[in-house]
Amino acid sequence: MEAKEINPNIDRNEKVISIRGLKKAFDDFEVLKGVDLDLFKGENLVVLGRSGTGKSVLIKIISGLLQADEGSVNVLGREVGALKPRELDALRLKIGFSFQNSALYDSMTVRENLEFPLIRHAKHMTEAEREDTIQYVLEAVGLLQAINQMPSELSGGQRKRIGIARTLILKPDIMLYDEPTAGLDPITCIEINSLINEVQEKFNTSSIIITHDLTCARAVGDRIVMLLDGQFQREGTFDEVFESNDERVQSFYNYNFID
Amino acid sequence: MDLDKNKPGTASSRRRYVTTRRLDRIFVELANVYRFNARFFKEVWLPPYEFKEIIRQCYEIGVRSLPLISLTGFIIGIVFTNQSRPSLADFGATSLLPALISVAIIRAIGPLVTALIAAGRVGSAIGAELGSMRVTEQIDAMEVSATNPFKFLVVSRVLATTLMIPALTMFTTLVSLLGGYLNVHQNELTSLSVFFYQVFDAITFLDIIASSVKSVIFGYTIGMVGCYKGYNSSKGTEGVGKAANSSVVTAMFLIFIEELLIMQVINTIRAF
Amino acid sequence: MSSADNKRTVIVGIFTFLAIVILVAGIFMLAGQQKRLISTVTLTAIFDDVAGLRTGNNVWFSGVKIGTIKSINLYGDSQVEVVMNIEEKVQQYIRKNATARISSESFIGNKNIVIDGGTQSAAPIEDGDRITAVSPLNTDDLMEKLQQNNENLVAITGDFKQLTSRLVKGEGTVGALLTDTTMAQDFRNVVANLQRTTQSTVTASNSLSAFTSKLNSPGGLANQLATDKEVFQQLKNSMTQLEEATASTSEITENLRTASSRLNNSNNAVGVLLNDPKFARQLQSTMQNLETGTEKLDQNMEALQSNFLLRGFFRKQAKEQARQQQNQPAQQPVQPTDTIQFKPSILQKN
Repeated sequence: MEAKEINPNIDRNEKVISIRGLKKAFDDFEVLKGVDLDLFKGENLVVLGRSGTGKSVLIKIISGLLQADEGSVNVLGREVGALKPRELDALRLKIGFSFQNSALYDSMTVRENLEFPLIRHAKHMTEAEREDTIQYVLEAVGLLQAINQMPSELSGGQRKRIGIARTLILKPDIMLYDEPTAGLDPITCIEINSLINEVQEKFNTSSIIITHDLTCARAVGDRIVMLLDGQFQREGTFDEVFESNDERVQSFYNYNFID
Repeated sequence: MDLDKNKPGTASSRRRYVTTRRLDRIFVELANVYRFNARFFKEVWLPPYEFKEIIRQCYEIGVRSLPLISLTGFIIGIVFTNQSRPSLADFGATSLLPALISVAIIRAIGPLVTALIAAGRVGSAIGAELGSMRVTEQIDAMEVSATNPFKFLVVSRVLATTLMIPALTMFTTLVSLLGGYLNVHQNELTSLSVFFYQVFDAITFLDIIASSVKSVIFGYTIGMVGCYKGYNSSKGTEGVGKAANSSVVTAMFLIFIEELLIMQVINTIRAF
Repeated sequence: MSSADNKRTVIVGIFTFLAIVILVAGIFMLAGQQKRLISTVTLTAIFDDVAGLRTGNNVWFSGVKIGTIKSINLYGDSQVEVVMNIEEKVQQYIRKNATARISSESFIGNKNIVIDGGTQSAAPIEDGDRITAVSPLNTDDLMEKLQQNNENLVAITGDFKQLTSRLVKGEGTVGALLTDTTMAQDFRNVVANLQRTTQSTVTASNSLSAFTSKLNSPGGLANQLATDKEVFQQLKNSMTQLEEATASTSEITENLRTASSRLNNSNNAVGVLLNDPKFARQLQSTMQNLETGTEKLDQNMEALQSNFLLRGFFRKQAKEQARQQQNQPAQQPVQPTDTIQFKPSILQKN
């Protein structure tokens, strides 16, 4: 598996997301114990970690789905925790969130799924323009033929692509991927990985990719951080991260590749 | 992973239970129910209005339930009339049958049967649909795409049940009365016009108003319970089943309680 | 899909429209029938006792429902004012001297008010008029009437005794009797009197029995008067006996009438009568029966008197009555009577 070529367009001077001292607990169980994180413009940042280590919690706090207990979460210059609902909605339009299970609306066709955000947030568009946009993003994820199908008729990989297409349709600045390759066969995984990279290029997004899949991490990550015990332990390129002698890092690596 | 955001608190600020653990949980649940209802009444007035979704839900809840509810109403009309006959026949008063079934159907059976069947059909569907949307993160997806899921999912469904259950009640009542008429016609050879004369002779405006108000409340209850249970369902597939199940059970239970309370109120009004 | 949405919207629209049509149709039919939109006039009546009448109950006139009870208020010391809404169009049929009484809609039904329309000579009622309320039963009147009838019966029986003894006495007087038209006339008069009295006794005792059955119903007078079941039973028994006695009296009267008509008949009947000592005996036994009947009636009256319920009425006449009975001690009852003997001492404790 080849490591990704680092995107030359990364602007290390512009932080789109800046997190300092983030803490989050559920009941008495502390999931995030003071996390610091920066996402630079144009960068694909992979957050690695085992299940239940609070990776998803992190991006849910970034998108405002969860509230942080402590610390500051700054996204595109706005402090997420302090925003009013309307301001938060405005910010969310600039964030694309690809869910683990794609989260397509079961009761709607693919077209209606894609139309859903457009109708609400791109009211200036005519019907023809909307149709063009839908076609464009479907083409970008390579599933133009599925336009009139119901989500239940699609395979897991297709659903994932439609899910990504739906987040792309409002042209977000930031993409958040929650376990993009979970539950998919290896070939589909590779397709999704390359889709994530294509999105980065075509739509010029900055992304955080949450995963426990090292193949995926190596294929899409410009930079990788490892979440262990509620804090980021290692940071760097894929190889830099796994040069560590930390037992936990090594066991994670072995689990993925030797198992 | 437990991601319920209704549970704030950190290790550093440990909660002490105000009463006991279990009682606290009940009060927290009550507070959540209150907030959920309050949120509905707040958001129902605020734009944007999801007309298309409301219509879609009205179609699903109202029109699609009509055959089932009508059929049930019709059968209940026949059965109820038939079973009431012997006790009236003891007094030689079978001519009072239309009046009796009129009072029973318009005051109680029409709204109640409609609500109970709708609770079974619509309540469980709402609970299951919202539950599975919660579980598969569709509700979160809506939220991060800056669409208010409460408005799109909850407000539209609660509005639809609140509007459609009364409409269904009208149909059920009419069809039940027709069922009763069929039975009365066969046995007492009463004509349609005489039947309906007696039907309307036995009731007052208060009865019609009370039944309408009652069915509005029943409709709201069904929608609200289904949405609350589904919207707040726990993660996992079993959460969906639980949401669907407890939607029906809770809604039916509440409907009976409401029926009892409304009956008391109406009787008090009637006494004046 | 846009057309599918459209179709759905239209169907929902139709659905809702039909539901509203049903509701509106129901309201209109109801409005048409309930006569809520018809103008009404108000009538009032003052009752001593409304016997559980309630607001909203019906007002009937000649068997037609013409209105409802609007309100029931206490009035004066312990009277009750009942305000009725009456349809305006029947106003002309109800006269100012109309009366209102409390009645029951059916055996198991509600109470209602029945208006009896008054006489044509009186003017029609006006809005807000007060009409006379009639109490359903007046016990005092009833008892007085019974007493009168009883006395009449005693007197008539006395007359008859005279008459029959003359009739039975021997052949010599028969001719005299037959030629004596005054005598026949007397006989006829006596019979006519007897008949009248019997009839009115029947009426009175019927009323009395209605009265007692009413007492029987819970919540009525019974609660005030007869918490004691025994007294009640006694009253009922007396009534039964009184009725029996009246029935036998009226039977006797019928016999007598037959006899007298035969007496008056100038055809073959005269001959028959003359040669028929059997008829004479019959007549005599009839008389005896009549006497027994009257006696029984007397005893029943006595029983009624000693009943504490009616004591108030009879108290004044008690002594006189006793004296009367002492003056006529010779009468022997042919049949033993089964009148229950009351114990006034016990009753008076109540």
